[in-house]
Amino acid sequence: MTRTRPPPKIALPVVLMVALLIATTLGSVGTVAAAGDARSVTDDRGRTVRLAAPARRIIALAPHIAENLFAIGAGPQVIGTVSYSDYPEPAEAVPRIGNHGALDMERIIALKPDLIIAWVSTANRRQAERLETMGFTVYYSDSHTFDELASTFERIGHLTGHDDTATALAVSFRQRIATLQRHYADAPPVRVFYQVWDQPLMTVSDQHLIAKAIAVCGGVNIFGGLDALIPRISPESVLAQDPEVIVAGGMGEANHEWLQAWRRWPQLRAVRNAQLHFIPPSLLQRHTPRLLEGTERLCKALDEARRAQAPPP
Amino acid sequence: MSGLRRVLAVLLPLSLLALAAGVAIGSVSISPLELWAVVRGQGDALHRILLLDLRLPRALSAFAVGGLLAVAGALMQILLRNPLADPYVLGLSGGASVGALTAMLAGLGAVMIGGAAFAGALASTLIVFGIAHGAGSWSPVRLLLTGVVVAAGWGALVSFMLAVSPSSELPGMLFWLMGDMAHARNPAVPMAILLVVVLAAVPFGRTLNILARGPQQAAALGVAVRRIEWLLHLAAALLAATAVTVAGSIGFVGLIVPHLLRLIIGNDQRVLLPASALAGGILLVLADTLARTLIAPEQLPVGVITALLGVPAFLYLLHRSPA
Repeated sequence: MTRTRPPPKIALPVVLMVALLIATTLGSVGTVAAAGDARSVTDDRGRTVRLAAPARRIIALAPHIAENLFAIGAGPQVIGTVSYSDYPEPAEAVPRIGNHGALDMERIIALKPDLIIAWVSTANRRQAERLETMGFTVYYSDSHTFDELASTFERIGHLTGHDDTATALAVSFRQRIATLQRHYADAPPVRVFYQVWDQPLMTVSDQHLIAKAIAVCGGVNIFGGLDALIPRISPESVLAQDPEVIVAGGMGEANHEWLQAWRRWPQLRAVRNAQLHFIPPSLLQRHTPRLLEGTERLCKALDEARRAQAPPP
Repeated sequence: MSGLRRVLAVLLPLSLLALAAGVAIGSVSISPLELWAVVRGQGDALHRILLLDLRLPRALSAFAVGGLLAVAGALMQILLRNPLADPYVLGLSGGASVGALTAMLAGLGAVMIGGAAFAGALASTLIVFGIAHGAGSWSPVRLLLTGVVVAAGWGALVSFMLAVSPSSELPGMLFWLMGDMAHARNPAVPMAILLVVVLAAVPFGRTLNILARGPQQAAALGVAVRRIEWLLHLAAALLAATAVTVAGSIGFVGLIVPHLLRLIIGNDQRVLLPASALAGGILLVLADTLARTLIAPEQLPVGVITALLGVPAFLYLLHRSPA
């Protein structure tokens, strides 16, 4: 579905209908007739999550999960979220129920949620498991590819009764990524270092979604082959790999300090060619629809690096 | 034994008050009337869940863990004749930490983490005893030194594991290392162990009092020093390992509570051991209540609070006491 592209004018409605069809077939066709509103999807731990009716009282256990719920139109149904849930703006008004490390179980139970959406890669996961044993419905989310992320939109859209908005979002997300992919398919490869954190120095391996974004833009992640999802590395290994571009987030949305630090090594190709690029962490590091914007910025940065490499005409 | 009666007359009501506070106070406020309804077996279903499934088991577990640590600390201080001895002095919490962090890295559930912590604690105890025994007999100094060095080894392993763990696991690991009651569910086992050990130790109180003065003196007065010391070690290790299994390595309770009580009620083990069990329990229940509510909905590890409460209280008493 991501590769084929019918003529532009009818593309969206057709794809929408197909996706809706698929979504309903994947959903609980068997129980639809009996229970009417019943919902059932498979979460990212491969378990079936069932609801008698679309969720009305949802708790999000990670900021990006709250963001995704708002993006598919389920924002008003979010009754609790964790610290640092700061996007979109209405998310800041949602009551807090803990942070990524520990949850306030009492508050969660008092809020009587009918759906709790947890993130697999966070330490509050164990408390989510406890909530599950107490009878709450928990959906575990995790995405390592653009397609998994788009399918997350569809699945939480189905659980929360926003199939239409969610499917439209997923379709356009897949399309725009496919467009980028096509555009950069034949671009000369650029060797990229993506910096997740400064001290200790951290990057991403190729299993990470950020590395998938680098690949879409025709970049090559210099630490792609490492085992850990977010490996800790030494500055030496960055110097040895000598990337053509260094892309960093930072502490905060406009803090370029980490990039400045690389200027200590003018012999680095990225420094020599002034290819140190800042991309706000919330655009690349959060698994949300904004990842598209982050990926587009990343592609532009790599394009600039290609021009810097090209011999002067 | 009138001393014991007087101490119990103060500490027992205080214990009940602390437990009541632990159950009544939480991030969701429940009025006294609603509390009373739940006590009588009625009340809102939500309140019943909060009080009976969350707060009560957690408060009782905290009480048991506090008691276990304080009694273990008191026993270790007698045994090693060293005021700096605490339940973890023989590397016990280090071994437990390595066990628990390994289980967390392997992605195992709460029960397995507890089991791995217990196994680590016992392994560390055995290693320390085995090595300290060595060629000759074990003196307290030798035991203490072995414990300190083994603990340093565990500490290095813990740092290593923290350094290589995925960052998403770090908050959970740090909470465990600082002591956290969030995963305590069933208070029955720690409570039973605490009760059995304290009840068994009190009749030995006179012997323990003699032992606290030194092994030669005790031997001269007809105490079977070797056997008693072994029993004490086993008891202290069992207590501390149980506590660590339930709540991670909560520092400070085991060191400070027995000293604090000695400053107030003197060093008669027949009084000190039961008093330590109760006072340790009170301290930890109150500390955990604060940890749950102080900056709610954010949660704190209870170990942070025990130290913040205990340090000034202890320094004040120490400063006031003669010599």
